[in-house]
Amino acid sequence: MSTFNALNGITAKPRVAIVAAGIISPLGFGLTETLHSLRSATDCVSAVSRFDVSQCRCKTAAQIPDQRLLVYRQKGRINARLHRASHMLIAALAELLERDQEFKPEVTVIGTTSGGMSFGEDYYRALHRHERLRRSAEWVANYPAQKPVLDAQNAFGISAPCFVIANACASGTNAIGRAFECIQAGRYERVLTGGYDALSELVFVGFDSLQAATPEKCRPFDRDRTGMVIGEGAALLALENLASASKRNATILAEIIGYGISTDNHHLTQPDPSGSGPRRAMEQALQSAGCAPERVDYINAHGTATPFNDAAEGKAISELFGRVPVSSTKSMIGHSLGAAGAIEAVICLLALRSQFLPPNINFRASDPNLDLNVVANESREAKIDIVISNSFGFGGTNASVLIRKAAA
Amino acid sequence: MSVRIAGMGWITPLGRGIDEVWNRLLRGDEASPQTISLNEGTKTYQGFLVPNEALNNLPPHPRLRRASAISRFAATAGLDAMAQAKAMGLKIEMERLALVFAVSNGGVAYTKRFYHDIVESGAQSASPLLFPETVFNAPASHLAAILGVNGASYTIVGDGAVGILGIKMASDLLEMGAANHCLVVAAEEADWLLCDAYHKWRLIKSSPPIELFSNHPHGTILSEGAGAVLLGREGSVKMDSINAGGNFSQRRNSTAVVNRILQELRDQTAFVVASANGTFVDLAERDAIRQQIPNSIVYSPKAALGESVGASALWQVIIASRALAAKQLPPMRHVAENAGLRFPAGENGIGLNAIVSSCGLNQQAAGLRLSI
Repeated sequence: MSTFNALNGITAKPRVAIVAAGIISPLGFGLTETLHSLRSATDCVSAVSRFDVSQCRCKTAAQIPDQRLLVYRQKGRINARLHRASHMLIAALAELLERDQEFKPEVTVIGTTSGGMSFGEDYYRALHRHERLRRSAEWVANYPAQKPVLDAQNAFGISAPCFVIANACASGTNAIGRAFECIQAGRYERVLTGGYDALSELVFVGFDSLQAATPEKCRPFDRDRTGMVIGEGAALLALENLASASKRNATILAEIIGYGISTDNHHLTQPDPSGSGPRRAMEQALQSAGCAPERVDYINAHGTATPFNDAAEGKAISELFGRVPVSSTKSMIGHSLGAAGAIEAVICLLALRSQFLPPNINFRASDPNLDLNVVANESREAKIDIVISNSFGFGGTNASVLIRKAAA
Repeated sequence: MSVRIAGMGWITPLGRGIDEVWNRLLRGDEASPQTISLNEGTKTYQGFLVPNEALNNLPPHPRLRRASAISRFAATAGLDAMAQAKAMGLKIEMERLALVFAVSNGGVAYTKRFYHDIVESGAQSASPLLFPETVFNAPASHLAAILGVNGASYTIVGDGAVGILGIKMASDLLEMGAANHCLVVAAEEADWLLCDAYHKWRLIKSSPPIELFSNHPHGTILSEGAGAVLLGREGSVKMDSINAGGNFSQRRNSTAVVNRILQELRDQTAFVVASANGTFVDLAERDAIRQQIPNSIVYSPKAALGESVGASALWQVIIASRALAAKQLPPMRHVAENAGLRFPAGENGIGLNAIVSSCGLNQQAAGLRLSI
């Protein structure tokens, strides 16, 4: 469904619009709350309440309160036996569809890392205690990674084929990138995309065992950074061929204009210190958008605050973009793994819509080895037109998406 | 452009290698069940496991030193598919090679070990070496490192239909010019925990045989292994159509979804490689086939190979591809007499096209059609 450009004879690729979004994260429920929390640089990290962390180095996470999730259940939309991740995705999809009731996806592409992991934990703990597994069938049926996505679709009568990408912490950005490519290649007109992950003990302890999680504050790109905190959430974006969206008078919130993906084979959990993997992903995103690095106004970094990751990403950013403002919003909401890329894309969307730079909180001192223009501690008003959002993950997966402000 | 199969790799409970497994299926061989236990006093299960010797000759790559069984299966099948393509004279530019890895349950054995330590002895005993191997995309990462893939690599998760979705994704990547070749690998490992979970879910039976297309399904037997197809523009077997399918929120709706898929893929000259596995899937496929392509010959490999969940659809694609080339399907055993379907009877002329139907155990279904 490419369009023929009569002026120069070149077949132009379809442009890809974001026509709606929905988000639930520690920053809040919905775009409005999220925007408010971003502007006020809210630190959403608190003591872990869902499981015992007494033996862990890190004892904090950014969590979503269950009470608010239950609102949707009370409305009769959610089967109470579903996993929390399903509840989150249903809440995000409810917001998205409230904003664009006519959006009917042909396919769904969603990122996650751990699906309904906590149900697997419940199952194993019950086995270990030799308890009767009365809820076992329910745990097993709701554990798979595709299940929360299908639950959300079912809640709103959507039956689109569902691709669940599990590229570790890059999953959310990979999902958005694939959705973008599907529309740009003319394969589909409308794709629902995003990511989700709910806090689980196994994953929390896993990062703690690697000493990637910090017992202190999360300080991305800071000289004294000591690691990440884990978060959770879900975010969804409605992507549509811009021409088709315009035709039905949909609100164009922004455009996805580029996507890059690369694989770094240096190590299963550590990036190549040269930053070559992230750099290739960002370069590819720029190339696919036909956009020079100088045109990028803001970078929402992966910025986990682990010494190695920030060093590699920071090096790649400064080499490619110079002093373009950069922040890691994980400083506020922790690392929500498979949801991170989607949540951060929505944050970029809000930044573009409201013309500000989201803050990188807990920042105290610049790293002398990184020449970065960090948006330290407070949000800044700014005129921004194009932003890039990065996500990198275990297995050497790197992904970047380029988002442009909607034309006035 | 047409997407074609340029190479294949296969590791199953019946051995390793396209010809070896295919010939055993033609002979009517079935995998031998093995007892899977957790520890003394717990319930045991039967499963079809990959024989140890099938993993011989893996390259001594450092990434495989501590890798899980699923990573080894994926590496074996993936490397064999690449080797087969290269043996046919195909030149593959590694910088233009994409990787799609399809999986359902992932590295269950390592995940169980990792979490067991936490439950048994507390978080302080959690192993930082095991944790990264529990991640869904660990097998893809290892295979990418061994092959030197540094571009697109996707791990996708789903139920039994995920292999078809992987091929769909690969086909899209090729058709949009993102890669010249795409290696699709699907793998699964069998473990006691998985058997126990599927047992609680009332999907598996205590011992073989897996009875197919029965009016009253008695359950399936889990198996393990991997399949790989290298997709590109070369090769004699062509992807005619891929249907990413749809979802069924309740099992009773699965027939309607499979029916829609077959309606789109149907071709009166096609045979069907089905996903029937001794569960509700059999009824869904039986009814849909009867309605859409009643004269087609139907084959399911699961009585012989078991239910390998995430790997199963790629095994079906390999069988369909091999059957198109050989103009022959393996014999089917343990089939209900009153199924009302046509099964292979050793005849030639099984059909000019092959439909692969994949109805998963957890709400997803998809299909594709191949020709030669």
